[in-house]
Amino acid sequence: MTTPATDVPLKVEGLKVYFRVRRAFGKARSIKAVNDVSFELRSGETLGIAGESGSGKSSVARSLVQLTRPTGGTISLSGAPVMNLTGQRLKRFRRRMQMVYQDPYDSLDPRISVHDAIGEALSVRGLARAEHKGEVIQLLERVKLPASVAERYPNQLSGGQRQRVSIARALAVNPEIIICDEAVAALDVSIRAQVLNLLKDIQHDTGVGYLFISHDLSTLRFMADHVAIMYVGRIVEHGTSEEVFSNPQHPYTRALIAAVPSVTSRGHRRLKLSGEPPDPGNPPSGCPFHPRCPEAIDQCRTERPELLTTDGAQKVACHVVQLGRTRVAASGESA
Amino acid sequence: MPTEHVEPLLLTDAVVVVDNLSVAFPSRSGSGEVIRSISFSVKVGQRVGLVGESGSGKSLTARAIMQLIPAPGEITAGEIHVGDDLALATVASAKKWRGTSVAMITQDPLSSLNPLVRIGVQITEMLRHHRHVSRADARQRAVELLNAVGIPNPKRTMRQFPSVLSGGMRQRVALAIAISCNPRLLIADEPTTALDVTIQAQVLDLLETMSREHNSAVLLISHDLGVVANFCEEILVMYAGKIVESGPTTSILDGPLHPYTRALLTSVPSMTEELPERLSSIAGSPPAGGVDVVGCAFAPRCPLAQSMCREVNPELRHLDDPDQHVACHAAGDPLWPSSLAEARP
Repeated sequence: MTTPATDVPLKVEGLKVYFRVRRAFGKARSIKAVNDVSFELRSGETLGIAGESGSGKSSVARSLVQLTRPTGGTISLSGAPVMNLTGQRLKRFRRRMQMVYQDPYDSLDPRISVHDAIGEALSVRGLARAEHKGEVIQLLERVKLPASVAERYPNQLSGGQRQRVSIARALAVNPEIIICDEAVAALDVSIRAQVLNLLKDIQHDTGVGYLFISHDLSTLRFMADHVAIMYVGRIVEHGTSEEVFSNPQHPYTRALIAAVPSVTSRGHRRLKLSGEPPDPGNPPSGCPFHPRCPEAIDQCRTERPELLTTDGAQKVACHVVQLGRTRVAASGESA
Repeated sequence: MPTEHVEPLLLTDAVVVVDNLSVAFPSRSGSGEVIRSISFSVKVGQRVGLVGESGSGKSLTARAIMQLIPAPGEITAGEIHVGDDLALATVASAKKWRGTSVAMITQDPLSSLNPLVRIGVQITEMLRHHRHVSRADARQRAVELLNAVGIPNPKRTMRQFPSVLSGGMRQRVALAIAISCNPRLLIADEPTTALDVTIQAQVLDLLETMSREHNSAVLLISHDLGVVANFCEEILVMYAGKIVESGPTTSILDGPLHPYTRALLTSVPSMTEELPERLSSIAGSPPAGGVDVVGCAFAPRCPLAQSMCREVNPELRHLDDPDQHVACHAAGDPLWPSSLAEARP
């Protein structure tokens, strides 16, 4: 390997997550929630993963923290493979990779005070009980919460405060990577902005890497250095934020960006997608996006496009883009 | 529209008039007021957006119009006039106009559709109950409606149960039921919040088409200023149970007057403009619902607040533009310490 392992703490190659689903009287079928997904996450950087429901973005997150066992592919952290860990090795691994969920009600035990919730994580780090109090207060300070919050219970906190507590708890073990799975989706906009700023500050101070999973493209545009767009289990476009948001190539990415209702883009005619995302248990042949794609050609119906680099910029999985027909199609669209 | 018997205060071209409405939930401490004396009206065919964060009282406003305030909450003051002749809305009269003059769709159609009843029955029962049409005519009309809202195979969907449909399709069905009796006002409470963006765009488009075709006014309730900006002609901004700013969409977006509206606009990262290193955010969080508020409810979070704000409740008033109203002492005051004019985005 040419890149020093420390520069790329997380490397995912060919990740596959399949679920076997058995219908009452039917035969078992396999749902390919994640299919051949590869990416890297460097220290101090944020990789955003965007996609609609069913695109497999949360399955990626869950398989990374080993809540779901991957079907195939490799995951390595600082150069060492971290697949199928058990016992002590899994415990040690989880200290390096933490997760913050959408709804802190699901991840914080309602019967455990904030002090004890963060204290649990400190025990995992090997800190003696006597030292907990000071460390908890420091962690709360880091997420801009007053020390008095330590004695409270989750139901006594607002949504924004609860999410700050989850972040403090994730930080308690000094992780290299934090996976944020729709971490701000449930928060009101004014609170969301506070939490996003906080996450950026923490990254600046600690050099933690974020895998930021969100359906909200404007949040990703603000947070992410690199972005991967997923559709039915596969990455269809992957590049720097600048490349993907300023010059989106895949028709799906373009439609997704156009569909974001924004106060600045009001009045613009949106590029509309008809239809809905397909059933991941029964995806269409060829390019899974072809039934909804306004630019689909015959090849798209039969042959699945590979994720390839275009013009030295972002990677795109689209025959039309790879054939260099985007310009033609784009000019036809505005006419 | 017949207008003779309508009070002079009522706008003759309105489909709903809310006049000094207050809603309270009994509380051990304080008045328990969650909606604090709001007034607004929606005109015929108009699309009005009601924006606010959770707990601002926006959904409760919708439920108050529908006379569906959950117990033990109750309307403690004010009047609501709805329907064709702007009758005073009461729980007793609601049966007559609910579904016909005013219809509502909610965030999750699973909660408004009966999971045990086939979709066809749920649409036809509306038509048969309110329009007294024959079974065959109702079925015919139901298929037309499902077709109009973009259900791919209406005849098949008629026989299906809500659970087999996707979220977007369910919302289409809910919309088909809502428009089945040509309501004069359609209240849409966060209709696309649970949907993916591409589906959200489809449903909003459909909502616009349907409201145009049926000449229904729409009261769109959303936390997402982007959605409202693209859909509505008028915007009402709610904070802690009060309307703090109202006016035409363009005025509010181009020249927001209330510090809260301005903060809402700048705390969402733009998709097109250059992004700042940090988002502007509002410190703190909104007051808990039902707590007594002295002065301006936004004052504890407001960068412009002075002692006056903490003592005197600002009334909604207009400045140069008679259509744009704001409830803020600082608005338009050139002598206010940190002038709003220079703080404008």
